[in-house]
Amino acid sequence: MIETLWNWFVEPFQYSFMQTALGVSAFVGVVCALLSCYLILKGWSLMGDALSHAVLPGVVVAYLLGLPFALGAFASGLASAILIGWVKRNARIKEDTVIGLVFTAFFALGLILLSRTVSDVHLSHILYGNVLGIEPEDLIQTLIAGSIALGAVAILRRDLMLFCFDPNHARAIGLNTTFLYYALLTLLALTVVAALQAVGIILVIAMLITPGAIGYLLTDRFDRMMGLAVGAAVLASILGVYMSFHLDASTGGCIVVMQALLFFAAMLFAPKRGLLARFWLRRTMREAQRVLVPSKQG
Amino acid sequence: MLETLWHWISDPFQYEFMVKALGVGILVGVICAVLSCFITLKGWSLMGDAVSHAVLPGVVLAYLAGIPFGIGAFIFGLGSVLLIGWVRANTHLRDDAVIGIVFTAFFGLGLILISKIPSLAEWINTTFGYLPPLLDVKSILFGNVLGISNADILQTIIIGIITLALVLIFRRDLVLFCFDPNHARAIGLNTNLLYYMLLSLLALTIVAALQTIGIVLVVAMLVTPGAIAYTLTKRFDRMLLIAGSTSVFSCVVGIYASYYLNASTGGCIVFTQALVFLAALALAPRDGLLARALAKRVQRNTLLQRQPEATQLPDVHA
Repeated sequence: MIETLWNWFVEPFQYSFMQTALGVSAFVGVVCALLSCYLILKGWSLMGDALSHAVLPGVVVAYLLGLPFALGAFASGLASAILIGWVKRNARIKEDTVIGLVFTAFFALGLILLSRTVSDVHLSHILYGNVLGIEPEDLIQTLIAGSIALGAVAILRRDLMLFCFDPNHARAIGLNTTFLYYALLTLLALTVVAALQAVGIILVIAMLITPGAIGYLLTDRFDRMMGLAVGAAVLASILGVYMSFHLDASTGGCIVVMQALLFFAAMLFAPKRGLLARFWLRRTMREAQRVLVPSKQG
Repeated sequence: MLETLWHWISDPFQYEFMVKALGVGILVGVICAVLSCFITLKGWSLMGDAVSHAVLPGVVLAYLAGIPFGIGAFIFGLGSVLLIGWVRANTHLRDDAVIGIVFTAFFGLGLILISKIPSLAEWINTTFGYLPPLLDVKSILFGNVLGISNADILQTIIIGIITLALVLIFRRDLVLFCFDPNHARAIGLNTNLLYYMLLSLLALTIVAALQTIGIVLVVAMLVTPGAIAYTLTKRFDRMLLIAGSTSVFSCVVGIYASYYLNASTGGCIVFTQALVFLAALALAPRDGLLARALAKRVQRNTLLQRQPEATQLPDVHA
């Protein structure tokens, strides 16, 4: 039994592509998890969804021009964020509508370009990720984008946290909130670029929400939230890659489903607000009530 | 010149698939536009995105089981909505985070199922003696109205009729619910029922639009027409009209563009809509960019006329 389990984990490790895939997924998991903590606090899930879809035309144009895909993706993601800001200032429609409108327009443009140019194989790699067959140059781009994001988070950690918790307070104590706003957007674009190869455009958003949400369920302190988010993301990435290997199923799908399972586990077992904890608490309260107010029983 | 234009428009009509595509496009355009007016008012863009992605595993399972894909899609769309509601009631997370977690989980499951289709189909064939038809994954994700089958057209028409009839019957209640749910509750409307009805309508509309636009871009059909109309008018009945006509216009132009450019139909339709929105933003009668630029200019001119001395400031450097 234990030997089977041992083999389940060790056997794939013989293959160098699996070693690379596990390393890349774990690294992407760390970068995404850190950023997801800020996004959860700021309520920027839709923004993450938007930026991840909006990179498509940039990726296609970069491919056509022979540039690194990360450059195109980054430029296109940032352009969408700026356009969202501009439309929001100039139209009287709600923010979520503006975001939905702009990112679908970018994605549509990407699809038009794709259908005129690139092969289906390349399309599916961009859309769903291809971590088991990642190319060396894509690997380098992922590492560079992710490392820049990690460095920036390390430097701006406290400022970003204050900006997410309470932007008014951040402005009052003299922080440049406009700069922080664009810094966070840039970080988001970088992270999306880094995660593209692992899970693909459509599921990047899961990597940017679920780990932070797991951390948020389990603790009330931000540093612990980050630690838990990173731990959950790395665990989900590794288990997802293994699952994908053994089931011969979509890697991005497996990673994201693993994350969702971890989320539901956190929902059940969270120490203070979990379903089980609340169930026990209610039960204890009822017991206590029965003991303290015996007259009600009669 | 005119003749060339005429040929440009009429030539595609020789082909049956183009006639079908245009018909379906117009129908889908109308249904989506009607729903989009409510979605825009309610601020439910993310919900539209969520439900449209969450239908994927339902579509795959329906294909494998040999039932109309609309049924599977509808069940999973509603299932995701219920799950979102349950998670929201049991955590202290923000709505947008909960929606994101649930729909990506559904979509991830769908991708796993897609990657396992060959072996699942074989298993079904050996156990039940039924070989599921080949599922064209690309047409589900990105739409394929130019190759739509008659059965799918029928499904779209049925769903369209149900959706439009429900909206027509409950129009006033739904409008009030979107504008001011508290008021709706106060005058005795069942807002819970309206909430789930609007979500069911959303799921139905997404199912109807799947074949035309595809899962990933359906949300544009549910957001952009409403946004265009909202930019141009402040009255709800006019909003419905404008949304409907711009949506149908974009669908028709998009299908033609897709035919002539040989490019993705869903992409062409959605991109046309976005261009129409930009035009509306620029040319809107009261709040448009041009109107505001003109108003600012007129204002400045009148100010200058009233205070002519202000135009001749003394040269401080002299």
